Amino acid sequence: MSYRYLLHSAIYENALLRPRHPAVRFQKEELTYDQLAKNSAQLGNFLVDLGVKRGDRVGIYMNKNINSAVAIYGILSAGAAYVPLDPFAPIDRLIFVINDCQIRFLITNESRKDNLKEIIEKTTLEGIIGIQNDVEINVPSYSWNQIFRHPSSQPSINLVEQDLAYILYTSGSTGTPKGIMHTHRSGLSFAEWAVQTYQISSSDHISNHAPLHFDLSTFDFFAAAIAGATTVIIPEGITKLPASMARWIQDEKITIWYSVPFALIQMLERGGLDSKNLSSLRWVLFAGEPFPTKHLRNLMKTLPWARFSNLYGPTETNVCTYYHVAPLSEDSDEPIPIGIVCENTEDLVIDTEGKPLPDGQIGELLIRGGTVMKGYWGRPDLTEKGFFRRSMFGYCEDIFYRTGDLVQKMPDGNYKFLGRKDRQIKTRGYRVELDEVEAALLSHPAVHEAAAYPVPDVEGSNLIEAAIILVQGEKLSEDDIVKHLSGRLPNYAIPAKIVISDDFPRTSTGKINRRELQERAIKNF
Amino acid sequence: METQMIINNFILNELAKGRKKTINNDEDLLAEGIIDSLGILQLVAFIEEKFNFTVPDEDVVIENFMSVNALSSYLDQKLAAKH
Repeated sequence: MSYRYLLHSAIYENALLRPRHPAVRFQKEELTYDQLAKNSAQLGNFLVDLGVKRGDRVGIYMNKNINSAVAIYGILSAGAAYVPLDPFAPIDRLIFVINDCQIRFLITNESRKDNLKEIIEKTTLEGIIGIQNDVEINVPSYSWNQIFRHPSSQPSINLVEQDLAYILYTSGSTGTPKGIMHTHRSGLSFAEWAVQTYQISSSDHISNHAPLHFDLSTFDFFAAAIAGATTVIIPEGITKLPASMARWIQDEKITIWYSVPFALIQMLERGGLDSKNLSSLRWVLFAGEPFPTKHLRNLMKTLPWARFSNLYGPTETNVCTYYHVAPLSEDSDEPIPIGIVCENTEDLVIDTEGKPLPDGQIGELLIRGGTVMKGYWGRPDLTEKGFFRRSMFGYCEDIFYRTGDLVQKMPDGNYKFLGRKDRQIKTRGYRVELDEVEAALLSHPAVHEAAAYPVPDVEGSNLIEAAIILVQGEKLSEDDIVKHLSGRLPNYAIPAKIVISDDFPRTSTGKINRRELQERAIKNF
Repeated sequence: METQMIINNFILNELAKGRKKTINNDEDLLAEGIIDSLGILQLVAFIEEKFNFTVPDEDVVIENFMSVNALSSYLDQKLAAKH
């Protein structure tokens, strides 16, 4: 019995324990644990032969396919860290990320070929993996066939659990992407917690909906591997079609679904959930942004046999609090809590001066524990700013990550999420929580989605503007909404302008892109 | 033929504006990121207005929306049934 201490240990363990059990599935293709371990070892050995060393970065740049799992575990097996790139990101951003963390090799597929020439010209990439030899490209390229001729026993690389495992790039508030570094330990701490909390077993079929560059995907792959379960990768195309997505859950007999609320709301509205047999679903997990209560209530009514859980945490901490949703009352659209702190993390709430606050007071949530990141790649300044140091008994230091989120502990012990610290703005001298404005907009039955954002005004202060999407078939004027808001918000918090739209710009991870909405508003101002 | 052209033009000039020079009629629109979920809604709204018929939610599936060819044969079939 080996001691599991690295993220890829689990697939090699399962290759011995349940070699013929499916590890990953994509459309009609499937890899058993035996095949996944062998293919990952082959990629690992190949990378080692290319000169990849412990701690080096290898990028994954492709539409999801069965080899996505091989890429993740192969890179880890070589002792390197994987850096997933958004396959649909603008080319300048890709070039930035590759240069920022000095990615040496890129694992890709034919679908991304068009962009490769420019990427190679503007970066120091040494080679491309996953496509046939191509004269158009100035660096060596290697096909999977070449890789799968390498030895299939796990490369022997000495690693410790504090070694770098993956880097996830998120948009920084300045617009420059920052690379969040996670180690084998921080990834495993989260995945092991998830396996226990959701009682995941080898009979589970876990959906992979999130793109690899989004932290939700680490649950889909690593928690599944620890439990010996099957990760079922949803084809990118299906994620855009709610009715196909719902049928996919039925056909793949998904037992644990995990995504942003948006995907679930789409299925609820246009997926025909009623007409599908989704009885296999035992957990519906969501994270990334608040789930509007009125939609969640409807979803829970549609899938009464499933349990629902809200997972909260910035990418920097993996997941740090969770809430198993209790039955929702019919007459309140009060947002659901983010719940209690995970069993492997410690929480602290501080005020703006950094003083710890007693339970019940509103403040910034800080998190400490095994799931917290190592830091931001190449940015010791940001890393330092992101952490909060507290002296303990005068002889040692505790280091907490500052989430930047405002919370309040309720008498029942659950945290209420009150929005980003930086989503608190001043308008005409008054302090306004933009999330409260959004909640008030959403409390109107005809409002489907809402976003509020500040627009600088001529006096150097802020005006609040909001954009809403109406429930299909509903009609509403700006005046109707203002009337509704005036009973719920103080006058100064009522948006100066409310735009009714068909849909919102969204980030590549499916969240409402409030920055884009704000930029459009500033342009039109 | 005409249906194909109308759809191809709409996707090329509205949904993939500035990102694509041409669209092949059997190109995978969804997996290649040519259309996102917002694009699907716009495409459905366009079809409903242009061809004067309602696309039921259960028809907005991968088989019908995967490519220009798939979508136009779905539409031709629906329109023929209407007449």
